[in-house]
This record gives sequence, structure tokens and C-alpha cells, in this order.
Amino acid sequence: MEIKKLLVSSSPHVHSQNSVRRAMLWVLAALAPASLFAVYYYGAYVLLLLVAGIASAVLCEALILKLRHKPISPAFDGSAAVTGLLLALNVPAGAPWWLVAIGAVLAIGIGKQVFGGIGHNPFNPALAARAILVVSWPARMTSWVGPGLVSAATPLAAYRAGNAVPSHFDLFLGFRPGSLGEMSVFLLLVGGLLLINLKIIDWKIPASFIGTVALLTWILPREGQTAFFAGDPIFHVLSGGLILGAFFMATDWTTSPITKRGRIVMGVGAGIITAIIRLYGGLPEGVTFAILIMNACTPLIDRYTLGKSFGSVRGAA
Amino acid sequence: MALYGGQRKMNDLRVFWRGIFDENPTFRLLLGMCPTLAVSIAAGQGLGMGLAATAVLVASNILISLLRSVIPDKIRIPCFIVVIATFVTMVDLIMAAFVPGLHEVLGIFIPLIVVNCIILQRAEAFASKNGVWRSTLDGLGMGVGFTLALVLVSAIREILGSGTLFGLEILGFWQSFEPMGIMVSPPGAFIVLGLLIGLINFLSLRKA
Amino acid sequence: MARSYTGGVHPPCRKDRTCSLPIERLPAPKTVVIPLLQHIGATNASLVAVGDRVLLGQKIGESEAAIACPVHASVSGRVTAIEKRAHPNGREVLSVVIENDYADEVHPSIEPKRLEDLSPADLVTWIREAGIVGMGGGGFPTHIKLTPPAGVTLDAVLLNGAECEPYLTTDHRIMVEWAQDVVLGLKCLMKATGVARGFIGIELNKQDAIAELRGAIANDPNISIVPLAVKYPQGAEQQLIAACLGRRVPKGKRPVHIGVIVNNVHTAQAIAASLRTGWPSIERVVTVDGACVERPGNVLVRIGTTFGDILAARGLVGEPHKLLSGGPMMGMAMYTPNVPVCKCTSGILALSRAESPAAEAMTCVRCAACIDACPMLIYPTLIAQYGERGRTEEAEKYGALECHECGACTYVCPSRIPLVQWIRRAKSDIYAERNRGS
Repeated sequence: MEIKKLLVSSSPHVHSQNSVRRAMLWVLAALAPASLFAVYYYGAYVLLLLVAGIASAVLCEALILKLRHKPISPAFDGSAAVTGLLLALNVPAGAPWWLVAIGAVLAIGIGKQVFGGIGHNPFNPALAARAILVVSWPARMTSWVGPGLVSAATPLAAYRAGNAVPSHFDLFLGFRPGSLGEMSVFLLLVGGLLLINLKIIDWKIPASFIGTVALLTWILPREGQTAFFAGDPIFHVLSGGLILGAFFMATDWTTSPITKRGRIVMGVGAGIITAIIRLYGGLPEGVTFAILIMNACTPLIDRYTLGKSFGSVRGAA
Repeated sequence: MALYGGQRKMNDLRVFWRGIFDENPTFRLLLGMCPTLAVSIAAGQGLGMGLAATAVLVASNILISLLRSVIPDKIRIPCFIVVIATFVTMVDLIMAAFVPGLHEVLGIFIPLIVVNCIILQRAEAFASKNGVWRSTLDGLGMGVGFTLALVLVSAIREILGSGTLFGLEILGFWQSFEPMGIMVSPPGAFIVLGLLIGLINFLSLRKA
Repeated sequence: MARSYTGGVHPPCRKDRTCSLPIERLPAPKTVVIPLLQHIGATNASLVAVGDRVLLGQKIGESEAAIACPVHASVSGRVTAIEKRAHPNGREVLSVVIENDYADEVHPSIEPKRLEDLSPADLVTWIREAGIVGMGGGGFPTHIKLTPPAGVTLDAVLLNGAECEPYLTTDHRIMVEWAQDVVLGLKCLMKATGVARGFIGIELNKQDAIAELRGAIANDPNISIVPLAVKYPQGAEQQLIAACLGRRVPKGKRPVHIGVIVNNVHTAQAIAASLRTGWPSIERVVTVDGACVERPGNVLVRIGTTFGDILAARGLVGEPHKLLSGGPMMGMAMYTPNVPVCKCTSGILALSRAESPAAEAMTCVRCAACIDACPMLIYPTLIAQYGERGRTEEAEKYGALECHECGACTYVCPSRIPLVQWIRRAKSDIYAERNRGS
């Protein structure tokens, strides 16, 4: 018997449906409810910000890949769109559209492509760009507004100033000023749990991150106070960008540890830094810098948290 | 003989030019990073720093080249430092006298030219082994290359970070321009310098 | 409660086309190609010459080497060639080609035996003489497994009925149809090693096999059936032992070092059948499946029947894109259908392009899916990256030598990186470096 053209290749000969594109589309889907809530809460202007972020990121990635003489199809695998959307979700509703566009270009250009593109960036591109925006245009990046784009203070800023803060229930549902994507804890949890269920992200990072923040903000007295075990951990968990950061940014594949124990270390480390910045630092919120600092530690964490292999048992030669 | 002369002439030109392009101290040799990062907020500062370093570089190259047969090999580095420090002190005092404003902005970075790697490296690698003419050309080339690099970095930072160039409001027509604060802070220097070095490597790799 | 281990993946089983069809005996082919190497170890020397007439069950290949196992004629007829022929292992192997005379004249040495009459030592000798090797795919000579190194005390014999590879239902059908033989084979293995406890590990998706075997065991207190979670690679030796007994095989050791012997259920059935009939290992059950096979199913074929003959008997639909020997996760892709079925050929899969799509590898995005999937708890992506750059020291540190190439990492990789291929290369580089060093 003869069969023409048999393909010979290494096993395995079947493959799962996993792909970077599929995962990124799920991440976009998981962020959609919280994004749409922002549009509903602040108005249609927010839609412009979201589109500006995604479009600038994708176009910038395609352009740079073109300049690098690489195939441009990776620009449309969804990872640039996720970066652009996350960046847009990290600015206040009062931000101008050009701020988001510049941020997305910085995220892709300086945060990702200069290091070699997908898989090579040491820092979460969206957060690196956000950090640059905060340093560059501090007033714009803190011009928090309420519905109708009326100026308002974030719960964390109000807390720091000693003013009244929204109820836990309002915080949970998202009826409070803040960055576009950080408001509705409920909808973010829906998306985050979906990603955990799909095994796109590991539960270990969000669980240890949020748990550490809750524990420390409960135990430690805030600046100017002395009583221990008197904090309001629920308020700290529900406010600021903690939920968005813990589920969607600290879990970024490329910039988080690949070892199982390492992911716990990443979450706990980010939690400690966040809590310290919130309680004693010069800024009301510390999630961005906590994650960026832990990104920088990721290679070291990986190195020191290698697990034991299956055969590393007693009696091993 | 004619061939030799021709070659020699080419070489002299190359000695000058390579400091500007092929062996640009900032972008290719990665020397003198400290002043490049620290005093490149505005183009004027960058130019002043570059010219001051160039003056010291040319002068010390000439003197070290003249003294190269007298300087004992074992203590050559201290000797170089003494020569360089002499010229730096002169430049420092001259600048304090004639451009006090710039002198104040540059501050400690003028005395620090003493330990600028470029100057010590050229003394060690070139002036102590070559004649006066070629050492002068080398110092001039390296100095101009350093100055151009500094002006380039600081011009980018000044335009983006303050909207001005050499203190002139060049973006005045653009009413809604908002300066990018990070450019006038230290991280901006790292970002601009890193991107420029990357760009130059990228372009030269593509040419090769 | 189904037992399992850490890691693993869940590829679609794709067993439904064949798992409920009874085993069919295929008529013996016109010619058989019997490779003199059908096991891990040394190639046998031929005991016959071109032109000789051989009888059914006659020993035609034998070796003096420490690790080897004889081969036998699977038809009666004349030897027409002894030459190198394509082999399912991808190379060419010295093979005896026999023209079938369809007389099926049985060699006089063949006579049935009774388990009660044989001492453990006799049993081991018989298992060697009958040419029994691991029929799950490994092909390790069974008699060597049954002879533990000095200082090792065996305490469990494990039968592997997990059959975690997609498509394959060979073991499943054998357990359903020949449950008595499987249990008898297990008893032979227990007697040969003097071990009191026997276990049969079966994935939970084979409820009928579990029921049949429960009946065949007939309340023998020494034999237990261990239901296993449906997960790939549940049938890998190390994972099977971990799931059934909760023991781990240390790095660089074999199951025998922790007192366990693992055999495939088909091997046990073959031992029992050879004892009952006196026939050596000259036939086996093979799953024939894949979208390009017209009538999929399990067929009982003579060893030496070529893939082409079997595919012709079952019919082909369209042009196969890949022809596999074994399952889709660990099987080898064949370059020609003119390879014979060996004692360790568990499946013949003619896959269409849609079933086995090729894809270009992209950059690693550090998602760690391979690390989470790895049943050996090593670091596939790191081994691949260091291996690719020839950094064998790091590749070894991240566990290259522990990889048994199950393919779970490559299966889940979203960037479609051929991790197993890189790890194989890293392993051979490490061994090459060691050989140079010594």
C-alpha cells in the first residue's frame, strides 16, 4: 500500500484549543462588564477613552512590528488590545483622550516592544505606562470625577483626608469615583472568577494579594494613629484599584512568576507594598507601584521558589 | 610615500570623525553616562556641559601627549588625574566668572569632569600613545561627539518636558500643549538615552 | 473516589468510535515482516536462513545479550528475505520476511502449561521463551522486570489498565472481553515474583471493564481494582504508581526500586494466553482509528502484519495527513505504511489534517501552562529555552532527565512551542556531554 505525503513530526500529534489569542479574547470579555459599567456611570465620553486606548495600542504595535520587519499579525492577537484597555481602565474619567492614546503608545512602545515584544517585557506594559503618565501629568491623572464629570475625591483620598467615605455596599457595586475600571468590585469579581475558572489566570496571585492587603490594613494603625487591629480591611479591599490590579494586572502571564510558590510570594509582596503605601506613603493608592516592583522581582522569585520535581523524594540517588 | 601620506591624511580625518559617529563616547562607548543623565534637562545645560568637557578633553589630551615620554608608566593614572584636575579647575573658575548662571545649574558636575570616564579613557587609550596633532584631533572629535549627544538628549527632554528649546518657547503656537513631566525628572533621562542608544544600534545593525 | 496525581491534561478521549466494538480477528496476511528487534534491548540474531520453511510459533530470533527477548514466526511458510525493513521506531531494522503458506502448521514444541505446575523460576523462563514484552508501548522485556536487582524486596504488582491515550481502546476491549485472562496473567506475575498483592488501575471511563474484572477476580482478597481519574497521562508508570499506591519513584530509579512491578493489561493477557495455549507472543490487539479509517475498531492481528495490510482491510477515506503508531500523545508518525505491527504497537491511527493540525511556534509568553500540566513537576519551558541554547547544565537543573515525554506540556502550550521536541534534544545533549566527559 502507498500513501502519498505523510507528515512526520514529533509527538504529541493533537493540541488543545489553547492559544494566546483565545486567552486574550477571554480577558477582554472578562473586563467588558466593568468597562461597560464605567460607560453607564460616567456617560458615553468614557467609550471614547476605551476606544482610544485599544486602537492606539493595536496600531502602535502593528507599526512597530512593521518597522522591525516582523510579521504584524501578533499585533492583532489581542494582547495589545488588552494592554490598551487596561491602560484606559487605569485613568480617571476626567482624563482627556490624548492622555489615554499617549499612554497606550508608551505602553506598547516603551513597555513592550523595546524589550522584544510579547513574552519579553519585564514590566506590565499598561502599568509601566500608567506610572509614566502619573509622573508626567500628575494633575490629569488625579482629576477624579463623579457622574457628569463633576470633580470628586476617590474613597482612598477621602479616607486619607479623614473625610466621609462611601458605604461598603456602594463600593462593592461601584457607585463611587475612581479610575474607569476599578469601580465595580462586583463586576470585576465576575470577570476575574471567570478567568480563574478558565484557568487563564491562577487564583494564587489575587488571593494572596488581596488577603495580604486585608490582613495588614486590619492589623496596622494608619499614620497618626496607634491602635493595632483597628483598621477597616473591607474598605481597603473594596476601594482603589486593588481588585482590578490583583485579578487582571498582577496575574499578567509574562511579568508574574511561573512557579506555584512564586505566585504566592508575588501576591504577598504586592500586598505588603500596597498596604504600606496606603497607610504610610505619600500617595493614597499603591497598587500600581506594588505590582511594578514585584514585576521587577519576578526573575528572582522564580529562581528561589523552584518546586521539587516528582522524583525528588527521599531515597533519591 | 604619497600613498602613505594619503593614508595618513585619511587617518587624521578618521581620528576626528570617529569620535562623532563610529565611536561616539555616549552612544557607542557608553562613557560619561553620569553627566549625560544628570545635566540633560535643558539643551543649554547640555551644550554648556559638553563644551566644558570638550575644553578639558582637548587640553588634557595635548598636555598628556606632550608628556607621554616623561610620565612613568606605573603612576600614569595619578599623573593623568593631576593634569585633568588642573584643567577642570581652570574651566570651573572661568565658568564661575563668565557664565555664573550656567555654572550654578551645572554645580557639582563641573568638578566631577575630573572623573569623567571619557577624558581619562582618551588619555589612557590615545593621548599617551600618540602625537600632539592626532591627540588634539581625537580630543576634539570625542568632545564634539559628547557635546552633540548631550545636546540631542537634552533637546528632546527640554522640548517634551518643558515645551522649549534653549529656553525659547518653540511650542508656543500649540496652545493646548501640556509638558510631559517625566522628561524633566531623572527617569526621563534614562528613557530618552536608552531609546536613542537602541535606535542607533537598530539603524547600524540594519546598515551592516 | 477516583485516585490521581498532580498535573496532567484532559484531551478529548475520542474513544467512542471503537470502545464498544468487539475485537475482530483479521485473516493472516500473504507476507509477514517480523523485525528481530521488538523490544528495548539488543537486536536478535536470526535463527533461520532465506529459503527455510518455518512453522507457526517457531523461534526465529534469539540473542545472548542481557536485555533481549526472542521473536517467533507468526505464520507458517517460507523465509523469503532477511533484510533491513522500515520499523515503527522510525529506523530500519533487520527483519525476517515470511511468505505465508496458509497451512498454519504448528511447531511441535508448542504445548499448553498449567500455572500450578510451574515454579516462579520456571515461570520467568517461560515468559522469556514465549517472547513476552511490555505490550502497552514500552516494549521492555517482561522477564527482566520480573528479576529484581539484589537487595530489592517487591511487594506489589500493578496492572496498567488506565489507557489514557486518546483513541486507543485496545486495553479496554481486552479487559472487557478477556477479563479472566487478565486476572490469570496477574496471578502469574504475582507468583513469578512472590508478591502477595496485585492491583489493577483503570480509568473511570471504563465502567464495563471494571465490572468484568470485578467478576473475574471473584472476591480474591489479594487483588484490588483501583478506579483512576480520567486524566492524561494517568497510564504513565510513575503517575500510575503514585495514584494507586501513593508512592513516588525517585529520580533516576525504576519502579522496582520501590518494590513495584508495573505491567500492561495486554501483557498480562498475553502471558495467560501463552500459558493456556502454549503459543508464544505472535499476535496482538491493535486499535485502528482516525478520521481516515472507514471501519474503525480493534483487530487481533499476527505480529508482522504491515500497517498497510490492516488499513486496506479496514478501508481508507481520503488521504491521511499523518499515520501514527501508538496514540496521538506519544505515538510516532510513520513515513510509510509499510511498517509491521510489533509486539508493542498499540494503535494505528490514520489522522486527517483537521484532527492533527500543524501550527507555527510562537514566543513563550511565560503563561506557565506547561508547568501546571507537567505530571513530573518539572519546568518544560525553561528546559526548552536553555536546551535550545545548548545550556545543558540549566536544562538538567530544571528537570530535563525526569521528562518521560508524555506531551502534556506541548498539548497545552498556547504558543504551540514543540516543548517535547526541545526537551528530547536537551536530554540527548546532556547524555552526549556525559559520554564525552567519561
